[in-house]
Amino acid sequence: MPVQNFENLDTNTDVTTTRTLLHEVIPLTGTIISGAYSDANIKNYTHGMFQSVYDYPYLSSSANHIFDITAGYDETSILSASTSTQNTKKINLYNQYSQVLLGYTGSTTDGVRKFENDLTLDGTGAMKECFFFSFSRLLVKDQIKKGSFSLSLGTGSWATPFAGNVKVYQDISASATTNTNNTVGGDYGLLYLSGGANRVEGVVFYQAGIVVLSSSVWSGVSDFYSGSAFSYSPAETLVSASISGSADALRHRIQNLSFNNTTEINSKIYFCRVPHNKYNYSSNPTYTSGSKIRVKEVASDTPRAYITTVGLYNSQNELLATAKLSEPLMKDPSNELILRVRLDY
Amino acid sequence: MSFKKFTENDVFSNTMRSYPKVDFFVFDGKTYYNNIPEQSGSRNAEVRNAPVGSISLYEFNIDRPYVATGTKVPLEGGPGAPTNFGRIAPWISKDSARSSFKTVGANAVGETAYNSEFQYGDILQGQYPLTASITREFVTGSRSATTGYPVNKEQRHFVALRNRLNFYSVRSLHYKVSSPYGNKDEQTLNMISVPSIFYGTKIEPGSVSLKWNFTGSMIAELRDLRENGELIQVSGAISSNDGKVAGVVMYDEGIILLTGSWNLSTTAIHLRDNTTAVNPSWLYFGVGANDGLNQSNLNTDYVSASYDINFKGHTETQVVTMFAHARRGEVNYSNNPTFLEHGQNHTEFTSSHVYEERPDIRIKNIVSSSFSDYSASFNRNVYVSRIGIYDKNKNLMGVATVSNPILKEEGQDYSFKLKLDI
Repeated sequence: MPVQNFENLDTNTDVTTTRTLLHEVIPLTGTIISGAYSDANIKNYTHGMFQSVYDYPYLSSSANHIFDITAGYDETSILSASTSTQNTKKINLYNQYSQVLLGYTGSTTDGVRKFENDLTLDGTGAMKECFFFSFSRLLVKDQIKKGSFSLSLGTGSWATPFAGNVKVYQDISASATTNTNNTVGGDYGLLYLSGGANRVEGVVFYQAGIVVLSSSVWSGVSDFYSGSAFSYSPAETLVSASISGSADALRHRIQNLSFNNTTEINSKIYFCRVPHNKYNYSSNPTYTSGSKIRVKEVASDTPRAYITTVGLYNSQNELLATAKLSEPLMKDPSNELILRVRLDY
Repeated sequence: MSFKKFTENDVFSNTMRSYPKVDFFVFDGKTYYNNIPEQSGSRNAEVRNAPVGSISLYEFNIDRPYVATGTKVPLEGGPGAPTNFGRIAPWISKDSARSSFKTVGANAVGETAYNSEFQYGDILQGQYPLTASITREFVTGSRSATTGYPVNKEQRHFVALRNRLNFYSVRSLHYKVSSPYGNKDEQTLNMISVPSIFYGTKIEPGSVSLKWNFTGSMIAELRDLRENGELIQVSGAISSNDGKVAGVVMYDEGIILLTGSWNLSTTAIHLRDNTTAVNPSWLYFGVGANDGLNQSNLNTDYVSASYDINFKGHTETQVVTMFAHARRGEVNYSNNPTFLEHGQNHTEFTSSHVYEERPDIRIKNIVSSSFSDYSASFNRNVYVSRIGIYDKNKNLMGVATVSNPILKEEGQDYSFKLKLDI
């Protein structure tokens, strides 16, 4: 720091803050989710409560966790029965998601809110049998960008799930300012079926990075989940298959999934004003050569300096940070400069 | 939940130093970092989408091919929608905050492109991965101030280091651009750049080792034995060259600058071009390390050479350590609803003016009994699962979660040590 001139920053006029939204486009093709790695990128656990999806076989150190899948239903669902496979876990999972994301009603009996196909949370349009996607923070960052989520699902047969009708669900009405509802789990928007005349069969929680999808998406599909000895509809899958089996069935029918994420970058901007009669000289050792200013051709010329660095000091004149210019900036008594220093954090 | 104030002796900060070991092996036009082999993917040529020997900054897009899907995200497109290339990609809108990526635009660079090629509201879309690896540059021709400006990027990169080289001459005259040991403005130079992501703050002095391997045997090694940046030949097939200084290391900048032109072997191979064979020397150390040289523009005999670059990095991490004390008789209650016995009525009396809780709400007894069908005596126990760190205005700043909930009985003292890397 050769030059040690200080200019006081006026916090009212020289300092301001700003916020920038940095986004990433996140496309997840169905081949990653099901098929490309023969399920070596799918991790099941002994507790059997959810299934993790990685973008590469998870035994490799290169793999990133991208999301978890699970399934569940409310205890008032017609699917809820003690004979159902993993009945308690499915109920508990539904309730856990709904408690964390939606909170409670005033009722003393069943006080947990249920997921609904609208933004009112008035008890109507409840989605009681659901699949849940819980996206990794690596992908969601601060939040999913409102209005950018889309999910394409195959509703054909088990053998050719995408040969028939592919349903595309989007939070098409949601934006940063409208058509979302704020709950204890953050903002959520509705997943509309494209061309489906306002048919809503899921919700997306933007800050939590969670998507709730009703099993009614596949209503009428008789072989939602199929194997050599069984063929289940969505309801039969939720009743008779394990949670990991339900997750397998769901993955088999995901054609594409994409969204944009958002990272908020908060910045403080310092306007560093360089008056015309200051900073025209440098105490850099290379500034002079043989008692002459190196950057002056003629002795009678005005003094001149090249600004390369701005230092930010605290009130005790301790250097806190330096800002470098992309190229040196010529300064002489005939010009004034305002250097805009932005500090991101 | 109760607040406890950190006292003077509960919070301190220190610096944690680490010395990550770095090993580059250069062979046949490829660089290998810490012996990590090439990984080919099943959907993409490289799993990490980065050349072997490179670090991928965020390690996104694992095994993902670049596909022109022709779609946008969201699907309906519009002016604010980025293009979907099948890979995760960053994007930003040009707005009044004037944030941007470091380089933007197809027809110009930097600020010019940002100002001239984009309207407000336009999408600036980048690409992942962002990678880094070592680079070898062969600097030839005169770069002196008297013979004009540098004519190519290799010369410009050297000229940018002139001031630092002269600055380090207090450590060793071998740094100095013009010294009794030669004039670097005129000498042929072999410059190897190591990005700082590999070493952190600086290359650790005394840890550098360069090995020249020829037909499977080491023919010479350089070490910075004096820790002053001089690279001294310590063992060679031609032992008369041992003890000579073949170049310098710029520890802070991550630059290895080699000038040693003596022969390391009497067998000549094609290390510079495919017409003239040259004897191995330190000027040809690292041929193939991202310098554009490979079997197609050299000769197949150059694969008899391989190179080892070893050093330790130096990283400094500031660490704040906080001690959170849970004294006996304190931290013995929880606001968790399950802390109380289920099914109790919590309110004694409520009206439009009064809300009164019952004074005799029972705490759930969680003391484990050693006997079956026998409830242990009540003891006020809690399980500490997390510790919140608040600022002076009681804003939650951070949360420390213990790996397993810690049972705290009323008569026990606990101190939790929280460490925060900053």
